[in-house]
Amino acid sequence: MALMRLLLFFSMAWFLLAGTTAAIAASPDASLDITAKNVDFFYNRFIVTADGDVRLRLSDGTTVSGQTFTMDLKLNRFLVAGDVHVDGPGIHQTGAALAGYPDLDRIFFLPAAGTPERYTYFGGDWSNPHAGREQPGDAFNFPDLTAERPYIVASGVRIVPKTNALFTFPRVYTAGVYLPLPRYVVTFSANPHYFENGFAGGRADIALPFNGSEHSLTALHLRNDQFNGTYLALDQHFVWDHDYIVAAVDPLTQEQRQYNLIGYKRFSQKLETRVFLQESAAQAGIINRPDNAAAFGEINVNAGLRHSGLSYIQDNYWQYLLGFKPGPNDAVPTGSYDPRWREHPMSQQLVWTGYENRVTKATPLLFRLRSSIGLAHDVYGEGGYPNEQPGPPTTSFHALGATLYTPPLKLGAFGITAQYDRQKMWFNLPHQVDQTDSRVTLSRQFARQHVNAYVAYEIRNTADYWGDQQLAAYPVGTAGCGDTCIDQYGTFGGQNAFRGLATFRALTAAAVYSPSQYFTLNLQLTHNRDFPLPVPGIYGQAPYLFTGDLRVRISRQILLDLTRQYFFNFAGQRWAPQFGIQFSP
Amino acid sequence: MMRRLYAFLAAATIIALALPGLAQGTLVRFTGQLLDVRNGYVYFTTGDAFKLAPNPTFADYDTGKPTTLQPRPKLFARAIIDPATKLVVQLDLTTRRLPTDTSYTADVKSAVATTATTAKAPEIVGVPLTGKEVPVEFIVTVPPSTPVNSDVYISTDFSGWNPQAIKLDRIDGSRYRVVRRLPSGTKFAYRVTRGSWNSVEVGQDGLEPLTPHLFFVKEVDAQSSPVVVYGWSDNRTNGQQAAQPGAIPTPFNPNPFGGAGLVPPQRATPPGGFPTPRHT
Repeated sequence: MALMRLLLFFSMAWFLLAGTTAAIAASPDASLDITAKNVDFFYNRFIVTADGDVRLRLSDGTTVSGQTFTMDLKLNRFLVAGDVHVDGPGIHQTGAALAGYPDLDRIFFLPAAGTPERYTYFGGDWSNPHAGREQPGDAFNFPDLTAERPYIVASGVRIVPKTNALFTFPRVYTAGVYLPLPRYVVTFSANPHYFENGFAGGRADIALPFNGSEHSLTALHLRNDQFNGTYLALDQHFVWDHDYIVAAVDPLTQEQRQYNLIGYKRFSQKLETRVFLQESAAQAGIINRPDNAAAFGEINVNAGLRHSGLSYIQDNYWQYLLGFKPGPNDAVPTGSYDPRWREHPMSQQLVWTGYENRVTKATPLLFRLRSSIGLAHDVYGEGGYPNEQPGPPTTSFHALGATLYTPPLKLGAFGITAQYDRQKMWFNLPHQVDQTDSRVTLSRQFARQHVNAYVAYEIRNTADYWGDQQLAAYPVGTAGCGDTCIDQYGTFGGQNAFRGLATFRALTAAAVYSPSQYFTLNLQLTHNRDFPLPVPGIYGQAPYLFTGDLRVRISRQILLDLTRQYFFNFAGQRWAPQFGIQFSP
Repeated sequence: MMRRLYAFLAAATIIALALPGLAQGTLVRFTGQLLDVRNGYVYFTTGDAFKLAPNPTFADYDTGKPTTLQPRPKLFARAIIDPATKLVVQLDLTTRRLPTDTSYTADVKSAVATTATTAKAPEIVGVPLTGKEVPVEFIVTVPPSTPVNSDVYISTDFSGWNPQAIKLDRIDGSRYRVVRRLPSGTKFAYRVTRGSWNSVEVGQDGLEPLTPHLFFVKEVDAQSSPVVVYGWSDNRTNGQQAAQPGAIPTPFNPNPFGGAGLVPPQRATPPGGFPTPRHT
């Protein structure tokens, strides 16, 4: 285990070093600093406007003042108009308007000192105005913001092109009122890594991003989940073109908290690594010594090979970071302690995955191959067979798998797809797990009725083969509750029939009605037939499941998505207890 | 007959020759949005400047009467130009949005005071975009390992990279689809997810795409954006269940420690919760 720790430590150190190197190599900071009597931000248009005594400072130190400013953050172009004064080390000009196109590395300028002219400055060189050069026809156009309400009102903003805009002392439109805040950062980057999530799932999350730069974003979150109630959390992003680090404390304001760290480094086009570390701690304050702590770490390395890919995945668990005092519990598992937990469960897996291939050029059959080797040390569940007591601390396995499938094929008015997947996994213990998955789907589009419908039938088999040890490995009552399971949901018999071979069968029928972009109704009915029979709260799926999903656009900015499931009185449940409600743009 | 024809041709010639002379006396109008009025010139957002007469009149656009509005950026204006002097003699102002004249008459062109462009700029390309709504169809082909009832989403930079921003509907065994109407000229980046950043699309080699899909809504009647997803980041094996800590060799052996051991729900869970193997 010391070796594992060492490996993890070096991986993390290498990753952080690589991240630092990326930070140093990053391009110099380029920003626009704007102050004015009134600065507005229109979220649904990603446009910033400023009016009254506008002062714009470019990253080369040049200042541009004028009466009004506008910038389209997505198109990455800005305009200053009205009594424009440009002052910098190499320029002192007055004009009617100045338009900046950073992507073209051009400044277009209408001077007002003499005869009207069109100047074009290249690459930040203010010494040569290139008079009379052709300019974009809409270079000096103002966007039409009629009937638009600003989302943010402020007196200053710092814009990092293509990345974010930091507003100072803004008032942010929230629930019908403008809420004053000390700072607010709007990130509009096309780089999704600013939004990598370091938090566990929650019911609600309101973010207050209050600090940001060309490569960072800091946000305070007001969150709510079913375990912790309402609380504050904090996350910090460091982002480069292809790399990122996300650190999060969640919750920040409660005794039981998680510290998460995600790191991603793209070494080359064909090599990437990802590290996830998580510590769960119980501590009175954030700087207090924890009363208890556990951790999880995952390293993932992916490499692209010729027509295939190779992935290495390692998981480590540390159940008690603070250690245990030796005692009688070391030998005897009790209701709250198992001596094996003093070790650190760990698993490693190396997976090879082939590209998609055609079986022959003449047939529409496709296939993909895969294989893997791995080991699991002190893993819950391994060595836990009735015929293998006590189980070995480490087990290893290797696996081969293949998927054969078709693209959508036309069959008259219908479309059909079929797939067959098979995987065999051999363990060092004398058993192997075979899995097969067969699925066929028939679909049809009713264009006039705006309906798409399909029916899918799937059979999945999982078989754990022990040869002549089969009945010893899976004696009667493997489910843990004898032939009949009785729990709070009811009585479920017939469990003794299961001896290590399980089968899922699922028939799904679905229809999507979408007459316009403003309305979509998706209905899905699934009939599951499982062996062994499902036992609610332990395993298995509801035999019948109906899902309805209604999406209605209620305004230009808001789409309401309502989802609900019906269980047909399985385990005493009819409707799923909660609606799924989501508002999105 | 021939006499009549000659007379008609002569009259037509006289009228044709007289028309420009008649037009000389007609004022020329140009409408647009103001950039500035400075140093004796009025500048429009088209980049054109017109020289003002020594004492131009500022009037209300709708009534034609004197106005209290002062020329400033963003106001809309109609410049009335005397074709003889090529000077703006009157500026009708309004805060109401007016369509900009984009087809210049010869008289307007001749009145523009801005120096003509003399050098081409090859970096400036493109077609005019009106911002009309264009139906855009997103079709995502998913890998066979995607469960039948799995939800698939598109996450975009316009939606703050919310991983559940745009939900797609499964239409057959391997494809999901959604149609959105977007203004022409809209430019955005997107990725396909299964609802979280832990289950985002990956390439055939299992690596994350270096850049998101980039999309630009053109000035067309309809557009389609097909995407093929070869794998998901939470299932890089593209296969079925692998051995992992906490996993049971088969999904149906819920008592892995046998009679003498413990079932997983009785694990000693540290305060603060058992470590979640994955973030969501």
